[in-house]
Amino acid sequence: MSALEIWVLIIGLTLITQLMRSTFLLFGDRFRLPERVQHGLRYAPVCALIALITPELFVLQGALDISASNPKLIAGIVAALSTLILRSMIATIAIGMVVFTVFRIIS
Amino acid sequence: MKALFGSRPELARVRRDAFMHGMRIVAPLTLATGTWGIVTGVAMVKVGLTTTQAVGMSLLVFSGSAQLASLPLIAAAAPIWVVLLTAFVINLRFVIFSAGLQPFFRRLELKRRLLLAYFIIDFSFAMFLSRFSDTRDDERGTTEQIWFFLGMAAYSWVIWQATSIAGILLAARVPTEWGLEFASIIALIAMTIPMIVGTPALVGALTAGVVAVLAAGLPLKLGLLLAVIAGIAAAMTVEVLLDEHAAKDKRGAKN
Repeated sequence: MSALEIWVLIIGLTLITQLMRSTFLLFGDRFRLPERVQHGLRYAPVCALIALITPELFVLQGALDISASNPKLIAGIVAALSTLILRSMIATIAIGMVVFTVFRIIS
Repeated sequence: MKALFGSRPELARVRRDAFMHGMRIVAPLTLATGTWGIVTGVAMVKVGLTTTQAVGMSLLVFSGSAQLASLPLIAAAAPIWVVLLTAFVINLRFVIFSAGLQPFFRRLELKRRLLLAYFIIDFSFAMFLSRFSDTRDDERGTTEQIWFFLGMAAYSWVIWQATSIAGILLAARVPTEWGLEFASIIALIAMTIPMIVGTPALVGALTAGVVAVLAAGLPLKLGLLLAVIAGIAAAMTVEVLLDEHAAKDKRGAKN
């Protein structure tokens, strides 16, 4: 891509992102979602974040890989357990990366 | 301090306390946000963006997931509309977030609503709603709530931009074979798991996770959208079932 195309893209991404973050806020006081729907929205962030994570762990080069030779899956499971047990962000990132690196080298 | 919180001492104190509270809430995520920021910064340079372009993208777009999704497409020289459409699908969850925050921000003037919108990110939205979604309608949109959100926003923004720019400047020295991109996924795991509180959230998360894997082959990251919709539907269904069950137990106890 040329420098101009890159900038067009960055401006486009900026506008799309800002507009979408603003969607319902643009309506101000004029429009309300039903309470029931609003209530369900609280599950949206967890679902979105998990949905960003799982394909990275389970899908390797476009194919489902549930095996001990998938270093990302192993490291991801260890990181999840570490979060639950140790409740420490530093420890989880360190342990996860060590496990990932070790399994990547041996597999 | 006056410039930020205003000159009326009483109001300034309320604002400052709420702002600090918001910052304290997101502070434990510094490392996760920072790791993600560095990885995004490095990745932008690795696909060929110049320092100026990468810093511009970081400051203007301010969305890790949209930026990271667009980078492989830029590397592959995909048409601009394909990149924009992919970002659109990735960002659809922001529409959901804006709906969730609308009851709290709706009385503010448009300029301020647009400013707050720029700062909407997954974690701040989750923390905000888990704290305030049970409030009554007339208790929504208070000074405390808005300054609490601003505190979370300011802290996250500074950490994200500082680490993202650090990643951009250091990118040339980071070898690709370190597998640094994966650190951002681990950071996301460490950030997300503590957010799964209660059975409905757990079922929703599992559903979203499975659907995201099964639909990973769909173009334009549509799998993410499907996963979020399925996850929310599953969580709400479980919530309704649990409520009915609890109501039945209550009636049973009376008889």
